[in-house]
Amino acid sequence: MGDDTLIARFHAQVKRLGDRAALRKKHLGIWREISWNEYAEHAKYLCLGLLALGLERRDRVCVLAENCPEWLYADFAIQAAGAITVGVYPTNPPKEVLYIHEHSDAKFSICGDQEQIDKVLEVREKLPHLEKIIVIHMRGLRHYSDGNVIDFHVVEKMGREYEKDHPALYEELIKNIKADDVAVQIYTSGTTGPPKGAMLTHGNMVAAVDAFTEVFKFYESDNLVSYVPLSHVGERISSVYIPIKVGATVNFSESVETVMDALYEISPTVFFGLPRIWEKLQSGIIIKMKESTWTKRLIYNLFMSVGKKVSGLKMAKKQISWHLKLLFQLGRLLVFRKMLDQMGLLKTRIITSGAAAVGPDVLHFFHQLGLDIAEFYGQTEMFGITFINPRDDIRIGTVGKALPGVEVKIAEDGEIMVRGPQLFVGYFRDEQAFKGAVVDGWLMTGDVGGLDEDGYLKIMDRKKDLLVTPEGGNIGPQMIENKLKFSPYIKEAMMMGDEGYPYLAALIQIDTENVGKWAEEHHIPYTTFHDLSAKPEVYDLIAGVVEKVNEELARGEQIKKFLLLRKELDHDDNELTAMFKLRRKKMYELYKDTIAELYDKGRKV
Amino acid sequence: MLLEVRNVSLSFGGVMALSEVSFSVEENTLHALIGPNGSGKTSIFNVMSGIYKPQKGHILMRGEDIGHAKPHQRAKMGLARTFQNIELFKHMSVLENLLLGRHTQLQSGVFSGLLWIGRTLREEIQHREQVERVIGLLEIERWRNHLVSTIPYGIQKRVELGRALAMDPKILLLDEPCAGMNVEETEDLARFIIDIREEWGKTVLLVEHDMNVVMDISDTVTVLDFGHKIAEGSPKDVQKDPDVIKAYLGEEVT
Repeated sequence: MGDDTLIARFHAQVKRLGDRAALRKKHLGIWREISWNEYAEHAKYLCLGLLALGLERRDRVCVLAENCPEWLYADFAIQAAGAITVGVYPTNPPKEVLYIHEHSDAKFSICGDQEQIDKVLEVREKLPHLEKIIVIHMRGLRHYSDGNVIDFHVVEKMGREYEKDHPALYEELIKNIKADDVAVQIYTSGTTGPPKGAMLTHGNMVAAVDAFTEVFKFYESDNLVSYVPLSHVGERISSVYIPIKVGATVNFSESVETVMDALYEISPTVFFGLPRIWEKLQSGIIIKMKESTWTKRLIYNLFMSVGKKVSGLKMAKKQISWHLKLLFQLGRLLVFRKMLDQMGLLKTRIITSGAAAVGPDVLHFFHQLGLDIAEFYGQTEMFGITFINPRDDIRIGTVGKALPGVEVKIAEDGEIMVRGPQLFVGYFRDEQAFKGAVVDGWLMTGDVGGLDEDGYLKIMDRKKDLLVTPEGGNIGPQMIENKLKFSPYIKEAMMMGDEGYPYLAALIQIDTENVGKWAEEHHIPYTTFHDLSAKPEVYDLIAGVVEKVNEELARGEQIKKFLLLRKELDHDDNELTAMFKLRRKKMYELYKDTIAELYDKGRKV
Repeated sequence: MLLEVRNVSLSFGGVMALSEVSFSVEENTLHALIGPNGSGKTSIFNVMSGIYKPQKGHILMRGEDIGHAKPHQRAKMGLARTFQNIELFKHMSVLENLLLGRHTQLQSGVFSGLLWIGRTLREEIQHREQVERVIGLLEIERWRNHLVSTIPYGIQKRVELGRALAMDPKILLLDEPCAGMNVEETEDLARFIIDIREEWGKTVLLVEHDMNVVMDISDTVTVLDFGHKIAEGSPKDVQKDPDVIKAYLGEEVT
């Protein structure tokens, strides 16, 4: 009887669920099911194959691929061998791919396809520790002469051969997995410096999964669509580890571009949304409504106000009159049902938003539609989730209550500190950073916030990012940025106003699609993004949005000037992380002149 | 050799579009046909696919003269062609357009077609599977059910290529597949054309103006000018040929 780990639980699930669908992948236009038995087989033979190639306990293996069933087989196989999975964002440019492979001393790299392997091969000479590169989709690789490049399926075949000489090895390995063994090494996003490799154990994993499933009830019949990169801790726990515990089915779209189609076709019961997705969906609805007929708009607005009343009462835990309930259901039937169905969210029971801060306005919007999004919050170092709004008691504007087992303390300066069985065991090769991050057993999250009397946590912002208002008060930039991003015309925004700046100002990136449409409607010709973002009419449009946002802010918090970015912010250009968070320090460097221009000649509001 | 053009001459009234043009396309090669505007490239394609009947000369496929065959018959023989301006059904979906490309392969008759039984059903499934492979190769999954009129131009060009490919031809005649594409789109299309040649073993005859593409991916290049063949060989050789340079850049006036 080994320790309680997800690996052990997996095998129990396989025995129980056998031929039922564990995963689904769209292939040649049809959804194909992969049973729990097949899942287990792939994982087992991949594991044995990796061992045959020389994988040893505590080795690091990088996985650099888009979401697919093979990613999960790999994650499992690596952990079963006692080694450690290091996920890499498939959107990472070669420089970042090099950093992670090098820093982790990865022995093997499992790449998704030609695009990914090219990045690794580009920096091959700088990776002396890297022994083998395993490729999932060999298309286009006919001419690659590097002898250390192996087909994923060949490795599985090797595993079958290896089993003949080592029939009991796999079972032995599984039994010897300890809760204290490091299972995964997840690199933090690196908004302020180079990414750090947080080491998380099987024990951390189980604690996080158990705590989450205590707050939200899952069923075997649940379906999820996996779309956030699996290298992100939130996606790992929601699309890999929780489904293993509860026996739910994970669905993979054909590619990144077909995720919306997959949502519509699968109609998942569980959906973990990123703020970016919610903002995009909301913008889409607003724009569609603007373009529709007068009567449609009237009906829509009518039922949105009903929705507003109902969600307001729900949150205040007040009684909802029967005629209001009836109107709400009518609205759902006439208007919202079709909308939700299109988005694939009609059957969704567990709906969340996390991984980054989301504007309360966006959440209110969806609550009015009948989608009760529960915001959550967590750190990579605590396996991704520490706080969540319980389904029947959501308080928008907060990130909810602490998960069972998670303790929280607020430091003198407002910094949020957490601890619990989910706490990681160190940063790989960075003892110093670990000492700085964990003080007396408490994780210093780097976020500032406060708890209300019921234990709901409200987050202000990252401690390092706090802005200083002209009156000397502190304010979190994201609060204002999210208000700006609520407008369909604004895609990204960065607030300036650190110590030394006379007032708050904003760098704004317009939403190409929506502002482009607006320009066409108003007969304003334009050519490129660069051109569009310089138009005086567009400045007027955005000034209007900024003025409206200012109305909601206290005097000291108001945006006094803004400037429109002439280029779209990008991960490749180091301005954003792989998960689209602003790299503020880098931005200050790269846009030094623009910021000076902002304060000098920016558009006054 | 798979396809041979032998001594083809074509004229429209007094205009000599093609003058005794001869060349052959070898199986499983990527053969490019280049030349300044008006040199006769599209005319040659039209003669090959049966749209124009040449005054002189023959088109032979695997040694057999196909001059008598009408365009749809040539399609059945394995000759598929794309058009410069896209010839897709704008109000049908991408999938439907691709499935249409399979019509040359349909075996079952009208009666069983009506009843959706047995052979027809099996055929339909087979065709759908083949079309899905084309969709997978050209990475157009997300556009599968979109009407052609609603998709971006670059994707329409890919669908045009896919339609020809769905016919499961022996040889693909591609008429300026990269026309109107930006650098990224051109690179993508070039990659797909290479994949078609290497993964699916098709023979490709390509008319293209983008010299980078031509020089990068072709095995053989044939150069036309004013209806005459003026050079032929590997991309490297053709690039250095003085007649080719003269045709494109003109001569120095002494």
